[in-house]
Amino acid sequence: MSTETESTVTESAPDTVATAPAASDRQSLRQWWAEHRRLRRFFLKAGVLLALAWLLLVIVSAIFAPLIAPHDPNAQDLSHVNSGISASHWLGTDDLGRDVLSRLIWGGRISMQVTFETVGLALVFALVIGLIAGFRGGRVDYLLMRGADAGLAFPPLVLALAVVAVLGSGVNDIALAFALVFAPGFARFVRGQTLAIKEESFVEASTSIGSSPTIIVIKRILPNVLTGLTVGIAIALGAALLAESGLSFLGLGPPPPEAGWGSMLEEAYNTSLFTHPWSLVPAGLVIALTVLAFNTLGDAGRDTVSGTPVRKRGSGRPQRGLTTVSRPAAAVAAADPPRTEPSALLEVRHLTIEFQTEAGPVCVVDDATFDVRASRIVGLVGESGCGKTVSSLAILRLLATPPARIVGGSILFDGQDLLDADFDDMQNIRGRDIAMIFQDPLASLDPSFTIGFQLVEAIRLHEKVSKAAAQARAVDLLKSVHIPDAARRLTAYPHQLSGGMRQRVMIAMALSCSPRLLIADEPTTALDVTVQAQIVELLHELRERQELAVLFVTHDLALISEFSDEIAVMYAGEVVEHAPTDDLFARPRHPYTAALLAATPGVREATGRPSLLAGHVPQAGHFPEGCRFHPRCGFAEDACREQPVALEQVSEDRQCRCLRQAELDLPGVGVVIGKSSEVDPVGAP
Amino acid sequence: MGGGVGRLILRRLLSLVPVLLIVSFAIFFLLALVPGDPAVTLAGGVSATPAQIAHVRAQLHLNDPLIVQYGRWLGNALHGNLGTSISTGQSVSQQIEARFPVTFGLVVVSAIVALIVGIPVGLISGIRPQGAIDGGARTFSTLGLAIPSFWLAVILVSVFAVHWKLFPPTGYTAITSSFTGWLHDIILPAIVLGVLVGASLARQLRASLIDTLDTPYIRTAWAKGGTRRSVLLHHGLKNAAMPVVTVFGIQIGYLLGGAVIIEQIFSIPGLGTYMLSGITDHDLPVVQGVALVFVLFSMAMSLLVDISYGFLNPKVRVA
Repeated sequence: MSTETESTVTESAPDTVATAPAASDRQSLRQWWAEHRRLRRFFLKAGVLLALAWLLLVIVSAIFAPLIAPHDPNAQDLSHVNSGISASHWLGTDDLGRDVLSRLIWGGRISMQVTFETVGLALVFALVIGLIAGFRGGRVDYLLMRGADAGLAFPPLVLALAVVAVLGSGVNDIALAFALVFAPGFARFVRGQTLAIKEESFVEASTSIGSSPTIIVIKRILPNVLTGLTVGIAIALGAALLAESGLSFLGLGPPPPEAGWGSMLEEAYNTSLFTHPWSLVPAGLVIALTVLAFNTLGDAGRDTVSGTPVRKRGSGRPQRGLTTVSRPAAAVAAADPPRTEPSALLEVRHLTIEFQTEAGPVCVVDDATFDVRASRIVGLVGESGCGKTVSSLAILRLLATPPARIVGGSILFDGQDLLDADFDDMQNIRGRDIAMIFQDPLASLDPSFTIGFQLVEAIRLHEKVSKAAAQARAVDLLKSVHIPDAARRLTAYPHQLSGGMRQRVMIAMALSCSPRLLIADEPTTALDVTVQAQIVELLHELRERQELAVLFVTHDLALISEFSDEIAVMYAGEVVEHAPTDDLFARPRHPYTAALLAATPGVREATGRPSLLAGHVPQAGHFPEGCRFHPRCGFAEDACREQPVALEQVSEDRQCRCLRQAELDLPGVGVVIGKSSEVDPVGAP
Repeated sequence: MGGGVGRLILRRLLSLVPVLLIVSFAIFFLLALVPGDPAVTLAGGVSATPAQIAHVRAQLHLNDPLIVQYGRWLGNALHGNLGTSISTGQSVSQQIEARFPVTFGLVVVSAIVALIVGIPVGLISGIRPQGAIDGGARTFSTLGLAIPSFWLAVILVSVFAVHWKLFPPTGYTAITSSFTGWLHDIILPAIVLGVLVGASLARQLRASLIDTLDTPYIRTAWAKGGTRRSVLLHHGLKNAAMPVVTVFGIQIGYLLGGAVIIEQIFSIPGLGTYMLSGITDHDLPVVQGVALVFVLFSMAMSLLVDISYGFLNPKVRVA
């Protein structure tokens, strides 16, 4: 018997999920799997299991109270008042000698009835109001929603009290009173969902086929709305129980003998506060545990719906604002062979970065090696997903831990290994020696502070100057990046500026302390083409004016060809080629570089050669064996598939990671394309 | 910029007008919900003498059409006259005037307690999620949402007032007669109310801060060489505060409702105890008057919160 019920339950639970709207069978199957996995995760949480067990206990014992309760809850035994825990009275007796456990079990009947009735009624009200408001719109909608506002304007308990004041305090009256409290919030949600779903094509389609609106409502909107409300319902159940208990505690609950948990607590408070304080515990604890159980289900449900990953407790404490480094000591020693060449300003050696994922650690950057010499502009290029942005963020240790961790290699800046630096060291280097600008200037400037504040802050973080002096310098900085009316702009907020202006502000901020290295992570990608050119022009101009090395991260080879001295090409987490820009364009050594060149828009038209670049960058964690490019490479041989290929020095200033680089004669572009000089450097917004 | 906030306030005030109308309408029409003949019920039910019933009928103008009664009630309310209590014959407005400061003081002190508890806890656990302090903080805020305020109240009373005798279990000293006496009497009730609101505030701030600290502008702040203090407390907290302020506005409504229970437990002569006595005595004018004041109070609070939101968020201010 019991096994039968069990199997029906387990089978029907995923089924209800599978009936969620689906366009095709295959999609519904996929969705079923996704939901199923989530459901499993939901049920596997220890808290959820405990909460379900507790609620099951409470509800079952409430339903079967006459069978389960060991004593008559109202049977007084004045010879055993306030007795402690005993074999016949598991939770003792109260001031009239009544069995506390039995009273709790019977009280649960009342409390649970009011709770579920409240939320059920609230849902009915909300569905009616929300659906009508959403469907009818116009004046009806306005009035209903102002009504909901009015309901929400009441302090919740006060509204319920006012209703109970006139209706009386029967179980149904109380449920109605609290339903009025909960309905407005639900109604708003239902209305919002109705409006959203109304806009969706399937409702429009059914309307045009001629289904009546009522049928559309029942068939489509209702299940969607109810699914969306499940979390809210769980939370509301807890809140309703709290509210009902509060009312009962005030003596306004259902009159005896229909005493809920709140009334029990009130009685204990009135009779035994001074004599038997322990009698205050059971009823309150039961209320708290039950509310906790409802909330736990609600929270877990919210996490499941929003797909919040379950974070594992990692070893070691993550630090805000500094990527964690955990390099094996042996690897550090091996990675740093003594060098004879003069050291560059920035030397990235064998940089290896892992991301913690639910499936375990995944290596996103593996053995990234490149240099940036003083006053040089180096382009770091590759398709999206190749690890170039991650590498650039790692230099200033800006990747968030978790999920990122630097697990190998070294980053030498001026001979100092930044991977050995602590927070204070890094804080001193950031902004002063190495500055950074980012892809999306709107998102990268703090929306709550004026740009003046942000510029002054950047200066005063590193230099002891007065506010006024910093402000004057901020104006000069804005002028230097060609922002008109600079002094007035200081009081502007980021959202008041155009995209190009924001990036100019970012650049001004980055250059505020005259850094020696500027890392620019796709600084023009989010901007439109004319503004892009202006920003590039500006960077070029600034480099001429002050001694500044630039690491320019981009996917746009044409753009970087215009002004870089060297280019490092990344693929699947590795640097595959590094060469002076002109040489790289004239004679690429790595097939990937050649393919990238051929795929560059300007080049493709100029040479008429077909693009060699088919397929996609493999995802981190799924890098192929051997040379990582071999599945997409037209020149791959058996050897390429066998073992990883190392980055080798192929000439004095070139490095390449290809077994066949010596024998291949890959097509270049000859001239550096697209050197445009028509762009007005004084860019007006 | 001040003009922006001015416009914001004006806009909010105007949007409150229809809501206020509906609220007053709903409160007045509680009368229509009274079962049976309101005059009989309000005069004390079956035991009421015909003279008492006639008195109630005349006092509440129950013979007029409802809408006329509403017009008169609203007109009087706008002039600060909320009628007279059926059971005591006192002016409801005068009672409310005398009791309002009591409840206001309790709510303000509770709100301060909530901020003192909620902000540091939320800040620490938002900055170091999954840390040891965060574990404790999350347990605290989860429990804070589940523990009934009245239970916490009776437990604190039995521990601090009955067992250790640190505070009086009940009673109230007017702030005008003795500030320290007032504080001494009000602190335990305010802690009960404030701690629970603080718990949900902490929870909100934690979530908001975790989201904020993940944004590109926080990365910029680190990249500039920001110290922990400047990044977490200036850039992080200011941006994370905005959604928290909204939630705090909603919480104040709960604070007011909670004040009703807490006043009753601690015998504080505020609006809550007045409303409860109105309910027990079937004194509808009292219930209506206090409910109206509670709603106005709550609306004023959320207006205040909205305005402070306007000061926090430059986009709202300038728009």
